[in-house]
Amino acid sequence: MEVADGGTAGIATEVWPHRTPTRLAGVAACSIPEFLHSTPMSSIVVRDLTKVYGDLSVVDPLTLDIETGSFVSLIGPSGCGKTTLMRVIAGLEPASSGEVMVDGAPPATARSHKRVAMVPQQPGLLPWRTVEANARLLLDVNRRENPEAADDPVNLLREVGLGDFLHAYPHELSGGMQQRVALVRALALHAPLLVMDEPFAALDEITRAEMRVILARLVEGRAATVLFITHSIAEAVALSDRVLVSSPRPSRVVADITVDLPRPRPDDVEDDPRFVALCAQVRHALHGGRV
Amino acid sequence: MIRRLAAPVVGILVFLGVWELVVRLNDVRPFVLRAPSRIVAYLWEHAADYAAAAWVTAQHAFFGSVIALLVALVVGSMMAASRFAEHATQPVLTLLQVTPFVAYIGSVVLWLGSGTRPALFIVALVCMPAFTFATVDGMRSADPATRELLASVDASRWEVLWRLRLPSALPSLFTAARYNVGLALIAAYLVEGGNFANEGLGAIGKRAAALNEGDALWAAVFAMALLGTFSLIALSLVQRVVLRWHVSQRPPRPNWD
Repeated sequence: MEVADGGTAGIATEVWPHRTPTRLAGVAACSIPEFLHSTPMSSIVVRDLTKVYGDLSVVDPLTLDIETGSFVSLIGPSGCGKTTLMRVIAGLEPASSGEVMVDGAPPATARSHKRVAMVPQQPGLLPWRTVEANARLLLDVNRRENPEAADDPVNLLREVGLGDFLHAYPHELSGGMQQRVALVRALALHAPLLVMDEPFAALDEITRAEMRVILARLVEGRAATVLFITHSIAEAVALSDRVLVSSPRPSRVVADITVDLPRPRPDDVEDDPRFVALCAQVRHALHGGRV
Repeated sequence: MIRRLAAPVVGILVFLGVWELVVRLNDVRPFVLRAPSRIVAYLWEHAADYAAAAWVTAQHAFFGSVIALLVALVVGSMMAASRFAEHATQPVLTLLQVTPFVAYIGSVVLWLGSGTRPALFIVALVCMPAFTFATVDGMRSADPATRELLASVDASRWEVLWRLRLPSALPSLFTAARYNVGLALIAAYLVEGGNFANEGLGAIGKRAAALNEGDALWAAVFAMALLGTFSLIALSLVQRVVLRWHVSQRPPRPNWD
């Protein structure tokens, strides 16, 4: 499975040349048969997806391809159905109509094989588990499906600066530290798809900026596809390869903006004029070109 | 530790002191009300008998509660999982809670014979409702974000129960246990008095009442009070260890005002 992942990730780099190979060091250089270049491998494929609750249409026919190994943000106004879309992709809710494929399988299958790692808006840590045990939670359930190459949560915790807090309880941590544990918990699963639902929404501005850097560093060098739902334009542009802008409910993608800033991105990427221009582009799309 | 113990000890000593004074100053006759000093003296004199009886009562109350807890965990899990099961079970549990169990102790003794079995049965029966309601409430209070997270990796029902729902129910179970300590001891006492096994504090109390031995009766009451106090202290210690992660067990924050 790991070999196949490496292969597809390599293809993605070839097809989307704006992605520098740094994130995929070691895999990008491998040679790929010529014919595969024309068949981009997608981690998430959505075809004419709709989601209806009673009379309320939450997602309009939506078609979407997210290439393997890319970091894609979905940004849109509150209540526009972003979270619903994420729940459908994560296999937690069935689609009303249309087709969704995650990692080459229906979402329910991907879910049962632990191919999707979620970072929810609230950290959702178990108060009776230590930091280390919380980081292991997703590996502790449904163990049969654990990947062979699961990352050691302890190393990841050290990487995000929680090495001294392995045996602390969640209530002893700040909000940002708790969310870092939630990030590690998802990454430790080594799933090919990471889905994050406004993971930093509850944090203050300063912590948020820190978390963005930590997330970028964690994802750098991994072959995982990331679907990142956010309200923050700067966050979306700074982290992503692509920013999808969603309309108000029912959810529709009104703009698909490629972020071609080189990687790895410096911490002061926000000062880059291209960054500023991209943010403006996203903002215009968000407000329907009215601002 | 000593400082924390000081206040309750002072409270009890003042209570007993006032009682002693009232009896002595008003010259209350012993069959109306005895002075605590006299009861304590009697209890001290027959300490071995009372300790043996208290040990029996403690076992009835403890093992009866454990049975109640186990049944409640099973019934409560079912109720938390299904609204139908909840609505079907709730009235029965409420009936158990509000009917005077003293009234049917005799029937249970006739049915199960004398000795330990009716005591365990009644104690388990009266402690079960509170434990069950606590299980249902606690399991329902499990964090929805974590539930969703576990669902996202296809955790089995059993895993969700074991890893999330049961630990979530612990705080409310301890609250129920606090309430059940008194109930279990009283139920054990009454069954021991109502069956013919002649063991436990209840049997001593019953015989003393029948023979008009006030000192023996009051000593049984004091022994029950001591037993209850020790049980609650033991429960608190267990709670402090098991719930060390819970808000209720954290030291108060310093006040910055």
